[in-house]
Amino acid sequence: MAAGTTTAGERQRRLELRALLNKKYKWIDRKWDLVFWITAIFVVGGAADITKQLFAGDWDFWTDWKDPQWWPVITAFATIIIPSALQYIQWVAWRFPTGATYTAVCFFMCAWVGRYFQWHVAESYPLSFVWPISIVGAAIILDWILLKTRSFILTSLFGGPIWALLVWAFNYVPLAAYLQPAHFMNHVLTVADVQGIVYIRSQTPEYLRHIERGALRSFLGETQYVSLVFGGTVAVAGYWIGQFIGRYLAVWPIRRYIKTL
Amino acid sequence: MTKKRRLTWIAVLAIAAFIAPSKAFAHGEAGDEPFLKDLTTAFYDVSISPKAIHVGEPVTITGTVRILDTWPYTLDPPQTAYITPVVPGPVFALEDRVINGQPAPGSFFVERGGVYQFKMVMVGREPGRWHVHPGIAVQGTGTLVGPGEWVDVQPAVAKFTFPVTLLNGKVIDLEGYQSSFVWWWSFAGFLIGVAWMLYWTLSKRTVTNLAVTTQIGINEDAPDIGLITPRDQMWMNVLAGLTIALLILGWFYAATRYPVRLPQQTDWFAPRPLEPDLKLAEVRPEGATWNDGTDTLVMKVQAKNVSDSPITLKEYVMGMTTFVNGGPDAQAQAGPHEYVGQLEVEPNGPIAPGETKELTLRIANPILSEERLIPTRDPQQFIAGLLRFEKAGGGEQFAVVRINVIPTQFKAQYIPGL
Ligand SMILES: [Cu+2]
Repeated sequence: MAAGTTTAGERQRRLELRALLNKKYKWIDRKWDLVFWITAIFVVGGAADITKQLFAGDWDFWTDWKDPQWWPVITAFATIIIPSALQYIQWVAWRFPTGATYTAVCFFMCAWVGRYFQWHVAESYPLSFVWPISIVGAAIILDWILLKTRSFILTSLFGGPIWALLVWAFNYVPLAAYLQPAHFMNHVLTVADVQGIVYIRSQTPEYLRHIERGALRSFLGETQYVSLVFGGTVAVAGYWIGQFIGRYLAVWPIRRYIKTL
Repeated sequence: MTKKRRLTWIAVLAIAAFIAPSKAFAHGEAGDEPFLKDLTTAFYDVSISPKAIHVGEPVTITGTVRILDTWPYTLDPPQTAYITPVVPGPVFALEDRVINGQPAPGSFFVERGGVYQFKMVMVGREPGRWHVHPGIAVQGTGTLVGPGEWVDVQPAVAKFTFPVTLLNGKVIDLEGYQSSFVWWWSFAGFLIGVAWMLYWTLSKRTVTNLAVTTQIGINEDAPDIGLITPRDQMWMNVLAGLTIALLILGWFYAATRYPVRLPQQTDWFAPRPLEPDLKLAEVRPEGATWNDGTDTLVMKVQAKNVSDSPITLKEYVMGMTTFVNGGPDAQAQAGPHEYVGQLEVEPNGPIAPGETKELTLRIANPILSEERLIPTRDPQQFIAGLLRFEKAGGGEQFAVVRINVIPTQFKAQYIPGL
């Protein structure tokens, strides 16, 4: 630890690093930072969106797919991958606990632009039916955990389950209104189910939804909590997939390239 | 014409050519292989009306779809299905769906040979000219499309609304219900995220940070050097605390405002079977020929009347098409006109009880190739459809026939004229 520096030489070295950190930007200036942070929005937002689409496409699209069983599991796993990779990159390079939040903020912008123009304006689905989930809240806490633990292992162990819980909890708040029971076609359906029937999806038949219908494994009817625990476990796995991407597909090749210079 | 003007015209024409609806193909149903349409299901008695409405007014789709006994063994057996309007997105809003007399909000169970009479009511939502079909999606197979009709939806003066009654008696407008809450809630979280990002990107720099981080351990936040300071820690605690406070507030709001919440509902059912068909005829297929040059299908079948009164062959139904042994009036009754054609039967007329007749059925209609209903270069050279027999004095039977098709002429495949 830095605080425990013993020798004078070591102390001297750290003072030099401090001077280096506060050195004036000369040949390169803040414009570089600006260009970097802004251009990366599209790359990072796109990567996050594609990863989510790949694993959790329909679950993130429709309110009537956001079921108690699969939605918390699949979205938690699909959305933690890129935040984890960016956490590694930004922490290692600049000691910024910002990778997850940066991904979440970029993803938020991409998702809303896509939903608004592609699905609402062009396809005329109401936004109330096709709103995207937001992972910003969960990402802030994931970055905060990294800031406090300074360890990717601890962040994965605590952060994975907390991620699963928070992604679900933050998006359950807007979903709640759509889970109210309604009377439609002589059945009791949730408002979300009604949206799924009323706003016609010719190529997404209702039977494709994965809705828990009750089985011996639906532990005392508390599917929700079993799912969250399971979601937490797969989120830990997702976190390490992200770490792999950050370490071996991003940072490692760059280091190698720099060494050859 | 100026260059700019000319370019504009070319662009307009190109777009027009691209979006100009080429009648029956509006949903790409012709893309499916013939066996997927012929051997799986048959749609008949389909009616889509009225053909012109205003936004907010209803269009009713009725008809019958039969799952044929010839269902291809290459597909999963039919078990679960969903009957839906096939339209370009939510340009209509579905209000009601009834299958064999029962309300059917979701999917239902089906079987080979099953007959499903459907009625769907939808209201116009977006102005435009839309091609409307009924379709049946079968799990493991996809959506099989029935005959379609163009429906004109004119704008209305009033804003489109879709009232839904909640179980607590409250009536909500489904259009945009709660969407502003969804947005502001998500946006509030986003703002905290932006604050978090601005804190780090504005107060710190990337290039000099990198110069330092490469020289120290990965688990060091080095407050003495100044990478992450106690002040940073304090502000991040504030933002993380704010995030959790927002979440608690949101849950409190949701729990008090919507005390009753259900999981998504899924009520799949097996529709009540309809009255079974009469047993009128025994049909033996004897082969068919297909002339790809003239779009002519000729089928030979042997039909024996096994009932006690005379019977007549009225229709041949294949996939989404119906061919009628009758005049223009009978054809107009049979379904959307783009999918209905003439069936010539030789010898025509009733078959007496006990009599066996060799019938030659002739259909010359471009729809057969436009909709790709006849296999021409496929691994399975046969078709299937329904022969609709009618008994004098009422009653009918749909007899399934599966016939081998022998092509007599091929259209050029790659190079026109060859
Ligand atoms: Cu169409």
